[in-house]
Amino acid sequence: MKLSILIGGKAGQGINLVSGLVSKTLIHQGYFTFNYRDYPSIIRGGHNFNILTLCDKQIMSHETTIDIIVSMDELTSSLHKSELNKGGIIIESASYEKFGLNLNVALAGALMKILGFNHDVLIENIKANKSINNEKGIEAATAGYDSVQVKYNLSSQKKNITIMTGSKGLAIGAVNSGIDLYTGYPMTPSSALLHELAGMMEKNGHFVFQAENELSAVNSALGASFAGAKVMTGSSGGGFDLMTEALSLQGTTELPLVVHLAQRPGPATGLPTFTSQGDLGLALRAGHGEFPRIVAAPGTPNECAEVTNELFYLTQKYGSLGIVLTDKHLLEGEYSYEDAPKKPLVVKVDRKVPGTTGFISKVSSYEQGEDGNVTEDGSVVIKTQNDRLARYEGMRKEIKDKNISMYKLHGKKNSKNLIIGWGSTCGAIIDSINKGNLDAQFLQVIYMKPMSPDIKKIILKAKNIILVENNLTGQLGRLLRERFLIAILKQNRILRYDGRSFTPGMLIPELKKRMKK
Amino acid sequence: MKAIPIPKDEIGKIADVEKSKGLKFLRTASPVTWCPGCPNYSIMEGARRAVLNLMKQGWKREDFIMVAGIGCHGKIYDYININGFNALHGRALPTAFGVKLGNPNLKVMVFAGDGDNYSEGMEHFIHMGRFNPNMTLIVHDNQGFSLTTGQATPITQMGYNKSKAEPYGEVHYPMNPLKLALMTNIGFIARCNARDFTHTAEIIEKAMKYNGFAFVEIIQDCIIFNTAVNGRDENMYKVESKKRTFDEALKLASEYDYNSKDGKIPIGIIYQDDSKIAFDEKFPPLKKLKEQKIGWRDFKRS
Repeated sequence: MKLSILIGGKAGQGINLVSGLVSKTLIHQGYFTFNYRDYPSIIRGGHNFNILTLCDKQIMSHETTIDIIVSMDELTSSLHKSELNKGGIIIESASYEKFGLNLNVALAGALMKILGFNHDVLIENIKANKSINNEKGIEAATAGYDSVQVKYNLSSQKKNITIMTGSKGLAIGAVNSGIDLYTGYPMTPSSALLHELAGMMEKNGHFVFQAENELSAVNSALGASFAGAKVMTGSSGGGFDLMTEALSLQGTTELPLVVHLAQRPGPATGLPTFTSQGDLGLALRAGHGEFPRIVAAPGTPNECAEVTNELFYLTQKYGSLGIVLTDKHLLEGEYSYEDAPKKPLVVKVDRKVPGTTGFISKVSSYEQGEDGNVTEDGSVVIKTQNDRLARYEGMRKEIKDKNISMYKLHGKKNSKNLIIGWGSTCGAIIDSINKGNLDAQFLQVIYMKPMSPDIKKIILKAKNIILVENNLTGQLGRLLRERFLIAILKQNRILRYDGRSFTPGMLIPELKKRMKK
Repeated sequence: MKAIPIPKDEIGKIADVEKSKGLKFLRTASPVTWCPGCPNYSIMEGARRAVLNLMKQGWKREDFIMVAGIGCHGKIYDYININGFNALHGRALPTAFGVKLGNPNLKVMVFAGDGDNYSEGMEHFIHMGRFNPNMTLIVHDNQGFSLTTGQATPITQMGYNKSKAEPYGEVHYPMNPLKLALMTNIGFIARCNARDFTHTAEIIEKAMKYNGFAFVEIIQDCIIFNTAVNGRDENMYKVESKKRTFDEALKLASEYDYNSKDGKIPIGIIYQDDSKIAFDEKFPPLKKLKEQKIGWRDFKRS
């Protein structure tokens, strides 16, 4: 059982409020939801829509064919009518306009009735929502509920489901690691994490600082790391580019630093509010000079929490840079789960920091001698550079000891078809295999650097390899070629680069075309 | 990142250590590579004395930390033996601000050059009055890039004709950092003469005691490159320490235009506003660290 509901209207009409209220009610009834947000870079007006999918099984993607359209303006129904499945319905806003600001709540009420749920849970959720006028909201929801007939008659299921976004996952991972300081500068989509952590500041007791720019954000993060704080910073696109100078500073200073790179379609300002996986190469190479780093890309909100915690742990232990790579689809997509993230690793700052009695602590952007001062001695430089690279060995061992997943395998074991992908495409790929009942295994690469040598064995075992990426050039494919000398045929690369994420509806036929029997 | 034990002969009563080690106290063993006769030597002595005087008043040596940028001035990191972070060119201020965010109990002194602070690092400098972190910025202002062999900075006078990067000579108008500091709401603004290390030490000490962001500009000759502006000592005069209004301070700051050798150059504390609230007093998490006299590393969350 699966239904797609498109909720559309102008920016500012409260589309997210409807999808939020409905999702909360649906998970309470035991249904999994996935909410996809599609919006332009506009504050008021324009055309925004969410596609809220509900399913009785775990789901992590949406479809562009719709069962119910909730239309908050005339444009929505005219734009999306053609996407309606056979037997699909449109709830028009025209008959609810008397509710004014609570139009969205009235539509939510109507939707609950159509799905066949009683509206008690919706009313509870309205009461709990501070942005809705209680009395008027309940009146609108009730009127909306009474205005339509039941169509789907869905029954409630007993499940304990929670909703989580990627940005919430990252924030939970940071808090689980004992984050002290997050520094940032507003930029979509990375701001989602800035907002999450700022919202949790009071309760958790950490500090969030909005700096004058990304240069300041990353340099002050390193300053604080030197002083003994557990720090994280992050940005997107050009904001991350500005940070790269200081990523190189991390390289010489070896100060633990976790950086969140929230990819968005580039080059330049690109498509600010859409999604892309175009910055894997950037994450792997950003910063001048040669120094170790960890680059990891979670594929789900729970993995966001786990990977963030792992990076805090590893960077603290090995004085390295850790980049957690996400995108808008993962950060803002609203996933739902029954299971919680793994138990976090305990992160400790275990070194002498400034202020330690009897010691002087020194760190420099120059190569340092034993006395902490600048050195240009070639033999010292060679030793320092070798020591830096040698830290990868420790990291690999630690990753193994702590059972950190550098990759995951999904789908049919030992299938001759191997799909390779990473990050936010995981949802659509896993759902495609399930929905299309495909004879394929899916290799989800999480750690891009260091990369597990197992990956080579897995790839060599498969007869047919298909690459799925949300970018123009197949950057993971390029990395695999560089790392293992394995090239994926051009015709076997499924690449999407229009700023939108994959859906099973488009992915299944593309995969089938390339699969071997 | 290195943690080096404090030399055994520098532990004990400060007066005794000072007596036995003399000018070597609080200094490292690294050979100084500034040009012979460079006023940086005397700026360093001023800074060393300021730290020493504050230690005599009970400030703990381990709590001092200097953050330096890149340029001739930045070498001071190698020579004064306190905690240090030799940051990137232009980024000394945000790095130092971060140190303060990591542990608000540290006594942070930031060293920067005029190219470093006003060219590459301007975007940070003009925000300091807004944020008002409790730390001191000391700018070595010799009106030119020297370590990169003599290009013009935003403070270089018009007509400077030795810049290798500007065959037509320097044609841009210099800016006045003191006026800029006033306009951007910095609460402590002072100027010193590099050669007068006693006065410099006194001003740095006062800046370190100021509760908020303190800015000390040090007018300095470069004896190799921009020599045309050298020898301004006779134009300098000390202003009396007294409370000034913004307009009075602006008038003082405007006396020297950085463009000619004429005109008086007032030195001393130009402006001090004690009513401003420091950054770490505005936020509960940082206030807690200050109350408990610890950094984040030793902070226990309830």
